[in-house]
Amino acid sequence: MSGEEIQKVFLILLEYLVPTLKVFGFTLLYSIPLGMIVALLKMCRIKPISWLTNIYILIMRGTPLMLQVIVAFYAIPMLKQNENLPVFLQNILSGIDIKAENFKFNAVIVAFTLNYAAYFAEIFRGGIESIPKGQYEAAASLSMNRFQTFFHVILPQVAKRVVPASSNEIITLIKDTSLANVISYAEITLKAKQQMQNYSSITPLFIAGLFYFVLAMILTVISAFVEKKLNYYK
Amino acid sequence: MKKSFFSRFITAVVAASMLTFAAGCGSEKDSGSKANSENSSSAPADDQSLQKVLDSGKFVLGLDATFKPMGYTDDNDEIVGFDIDVAQEVCNRMGVELVKEGINWDTKEEDLNAGRIDCIWNGMSVDPGRAEAMNLSDPYMSNSMVFVVPADSDITSMDQLKGKSIGVQNGSTAQTILNESEIGSEITEQAMATNIEALQQMELDIVDAVFLDSVVANYEITSSGKDYKVLPDGLEKEEYAIGFRKNDQALRDEVQKYLHEMKEDGTLGEISTKWFGSDITTVK
Repeated sequence: MSGEEIQKVFLILLEYLVPTLKVFGFTLLYSIPLGMIVALLKMCRIKPISWLTNIYILIMRGTPLMLQVIVAFYAIPMLKQNENLPVFLQNILSGIDIKAENFKFNAVIVAFTLNYAAYFAEIFRGGIESIPKGQYEAAASLSMNRFQTFFHVILPQVAKRVVPASSNEIITLIKDTSLANVISYAEITLKAKQQMQNYSSITPLFIAGLFYFVLAMILTVISAFVEKKLNYYK
Repeated sequence: MKKSFFSRFITAVVAASMLTFAAGCGSEKDSGSKANSENSSSAPADDQSLQKVLDSGKFVLGLDATFKPMGYTDDNDEIVGFDIDVAQEVCNRMGVELVKEGINWDTKEEDLNAGRIDCIWNGMSVDPGRAEAMNLSDPYMSNSMVFVVPADSDITSMDQLKGKSIGVQNGSTAQTILNESEIGSEITEQAMATNIEALQQMELDIVDAVFLDSVVANYEITSSGKDYKVLPDGLEKEEYAIGFRKNDQALRDEVQKYLHEMKEDGTLGEISTKWFGSDITTVK
């Protein structure tokens, strides 16, 4: 490929940086809070809740994200085909327009959020369980209730401890967004694959790789900065 | 003041949900077609397929846009190709808008049956499995499966391919044909996601030959100027057709009628000449 062609491909891919970042951003926004809830549910003293959460985490971590994206995408259209569904379900489903432009995006976000929440949950659980018992006892001696203990004493310490593992996961996420191309969601990898056919050359894939590399580098710098900021009391 | 730790989270999540919702509002214009897709359980007897397309004013063509020159993405990120030109002309005559919807080729049947697209039109080869799963149009172009080797290769005929490794696109009819052929058991098959990757591997000497559609092979050699040669003996003739839903007989017949009309008045020949240098279509 000539320099001019490479530049053309670069500009097209640059345009699709936005859909890639949209998947990245929204997945983080939803999966971190959801991961926290899942972590708490897993540590719940009511056993059935803890078991159900375990099954959820097992499925999400035990099957490929690519498969989960496909399931999230086809589940609703396939349910819509089924006429034996209860009426209330049919009513809910008929409100979803499977031809709408953002249907693909929503499917991607649902799959990514559920998947990443499972990973974040395990990171957060590890963080919460790593806090020494003495911290709870100290809080109790100050007559803090369980809520106060968790939010004022435990959580701020957990936040510090989960940053390295979380940033690892976040850097993986930016590269995993490329999996959205299995349902033909228009992002960098899909466009690179299409341009690859157009120019009969695999160079566009390397250009796409460059995009992910730069994004991962930026995230690395940010996570190093956050880690440094949170490095107090040591 | 410290309570904000939790409430800030909730606010952030709610704000994010609204953002997603707002992002979705851009596609409000599609809601017109939603009403029509609700009675989707039509039997062949009361076939609403054509009426639905005419009512919504949109004909949704599903393609993966990586099949050059039938339907692919060009250097300006536009979907173009022989099939697209033909489909555009058919849509002009039907008086509807052509919508090009990206799909993954591996799950094309699901997209069709789920009603996300009205047809699959991307140089799709006819095979018994597809004829079973879809309502196919009459074939509009014939194609043969050929072996391509580097121009400086010693291989000059199919017999010499024994014991060699051959690249083929995964999930393609080429792969099925190769597996079922006599030579299939005597070669090492290397399945790859796309023909381009297969050809690239051949250039790097990872595979000795690539088995693919002659339409693609000839286009690669003539327009991309690649240094390949096509072995004279191909394996099997096959044909391209358009795939519709099993029940959508009326829509299929309407498209077929316009293809026939375009062949008669020479429009189809013109489009074929533009892409292939001559009229190679087989519409009757």
